[in-house]
Amino acid sequence: MVERGRYRPVVWVLFVVATLAAVVVCLSLGSVRVPLPDAAREVGRFLTGRPAFDKTVWSIVVTVRFPRVLVAGLMGASLSVSGCAMQGLLKNPLADGTTLGISSGAGLGAVIAIAFGIQIPALPFAGTTIMAAAFSFLSLLVILTLAYQIDRSLSSNTIILLGIIFSMFIASLSSIIITFAGEKAGTILFWTMGSLASTTFANAALLFFSLLVFGGILLSMRRELNAFAIGEENALHVGVDVKRTKLLVLISVSALTGICVSVGGTIGFVGLVTPHMVRYLVGPNHLRLMPAVLFGGAIFLMLSDLAARTLFSPRELPIGVVTSLIGAVIFVNIIVAAMRKVK
Amino acid sequence: MIRNNNKRAAALAVVLLLAMALLAGCGSGGISSGKAEGTTVVALTASSAEILYALGGGDMLVGRGEYCDWPPEIAEVPTVSSGDETNVEQIIALKPDLVLMATMAQSPEQAAQLEEAGIEVYTSDASTIEETYVTIEEIGALIGKEAEAADVIASMQETFETVAADKVDGGTIYFEVSPLEYGLWTVGEGTFMDEAAGLVGLTNIFADLEGYAEVSEEQVIERNPDYILTITMYYGEGAKPVDELLARSGWENVTAIQNGAILELPNNELSRPGPRLAEGVQALSDFVHGIENG
Repeated sequence: MVERGRYRPVVWVLFVVATLAAVVVCLSLGSVRVPLPDAAREVGRFLTGRPAFDKTVWSIVVTVRFPRVLVAGLMGASLSVSGCAMQGLLKNPLADGTTLGISSGAGLGAVIAIAFGIQIPALPFAGTTIMAAAFSFLSLLVILTLAYQIDRSLSSNTIILLGIIFSMFIASLSSIIITFAGEKAGTILFWTMGSLASTTFANAALLFFSLLVFGGILLSMRRELNAFAIGEENALHVGVDVKRTKLLVLISVSALTGICVSVGGTIGFVGLVTPHMVRYLVGPNHLRLMPAVLFGGAIFLMLSDLAARTLFSPRELPIGVVTSLIGAVIFVNIIVAAMRKVK
Repeated sequence: MIRNNNKRAAALAVVLLLAMALLAGCGSGGISSGKAEGTTVVALTASSAEILYALGGGDMLVGRGEYCDWPPEIAEVPTVSSGDETNVEQIIALKPDLVLMATMAQSPEQAAQLEEAGIEVYTSDASTIEETYVTIEEIGALIGKEAEAADVIASMQETFETVAADKVDGGTIYFEVSPLEYGLWTVGEGTFMDEAAGLVGLTNIFADLEGYAEVSEEQVIERNPDYILTITMYYGEGAKPVDELLARSGWENVTAIQNGAILELPNNELSRPGPRLAEGVQALSDFVHGIENG
């Protein structure tokens, strides 16, 4: 047996290098073609605190592209580690913010915050963020409670079905609010489509700290998740504090999902796609899988956003279109694989 | 029993519809052209309502689509659902002689239902200034205001000619339809705004695109427009459109931002095929000349 559960340093280095490479590629490529040396020069001057050399290149690469790449990376990591944790906790490879309806729930929270003008005076956008996080937590509770009524193991596809029904229910609630939102309807409609177009370094900082705290909690529970992946009863038998683990995972996942949705709207299937792909590389052991998923998720969303920005330049695609396209294919792939296994 | 009731209800509905159709039919008695007195109109599109008012037919309006918001006094006219939610029953209940709608927004089936109810239906889909003249002319003929229509068109033409005679010597413009927060949307070729730019002597920086398009922020910065026209709605929260534009990080070096050359036209002057296109073009021309002359 090779060292179990721990990365060999080489693997760590490879993941870090791949992520940094993705950052460089995403910074140098974009809707506007900027030669790599020019882009590198401005980024270098930015990182060392010097002023712009070419103001237009600086505006494009440092002010517009850089925060967006950071936000995409951090959001990809947050959504993926959340998806991975849910899949482990529920022992269900299809679990993800999108399939469970948590993202829709978070979206509804944000819609309500906008429609009713729920704000926290000191922090202009915190109302939306907190409502989104609170609603994603509530959604999780509702879905899990319902699922428990039907099937205590939670591993069946019942929970996914419930998640989809829940999403539809939330969508109609949102429509009702939008109908009565009057002039704010436009704001809400635009908002629900999801976009990384106006992201700032402040957004990146918010995502970074939430990932540090809640992602940190999830990473600290890798052993417990391993126990859950075999079965909740098993977890109980090997001495895992089942209730505490569940609560901490659910809170962390809700917070991460809510914050991501409040920054960029609903970006579907990220938490489903990345763990699935990363599992091929490092296997199902959460000790390896969880940290690897952080890098994988960052790379996946940065590259998806790159595709959204460049494929039809100067036009831009909503990033959710790209991730959902890939996500739907992988979703079917997982279902087919699962069916074969059953046969 | 239940089945019977349903049948009875259906029959009743048919009878009622027929009765309404007859009533509506009696009311109109063939308005195909030239009949002004007592003509009643429902306008589903904002532009057709504006044309009706411009022709002096505002008092004919008995119902308006919910997005018809100009001129301000239109607010007193009862609204009906429009667009995807167009409700034929609502319209028939208002017993109009004529319904003005857009080809894009309403289905042919809905138009057919209205016509079966004896209501004349006029659909338009003007996307150029020339086509807008035709729409004004045709609506004028339908409500017996041919002379007024000719006047409105002549006055529009005069404005456009004056503006075009006083063209600025080049320059570029960026049209913003939706703000950054929701992804930037702009307009390309085949839109009134693009046409307006040409009249004033400017080039739309996104003339290589067609219709409405979501574009990348980087592109705007690189194409570096001399002027910006925003038609973004302001919902009463956060920074106003012009302030928000001025405060955008990364846009500091865009010529229009540096010169404060931003015009806000929040009342759909340049997005509707109606008489106010002239006002919009005039406003754009005045604005550009104002900046040019310091």
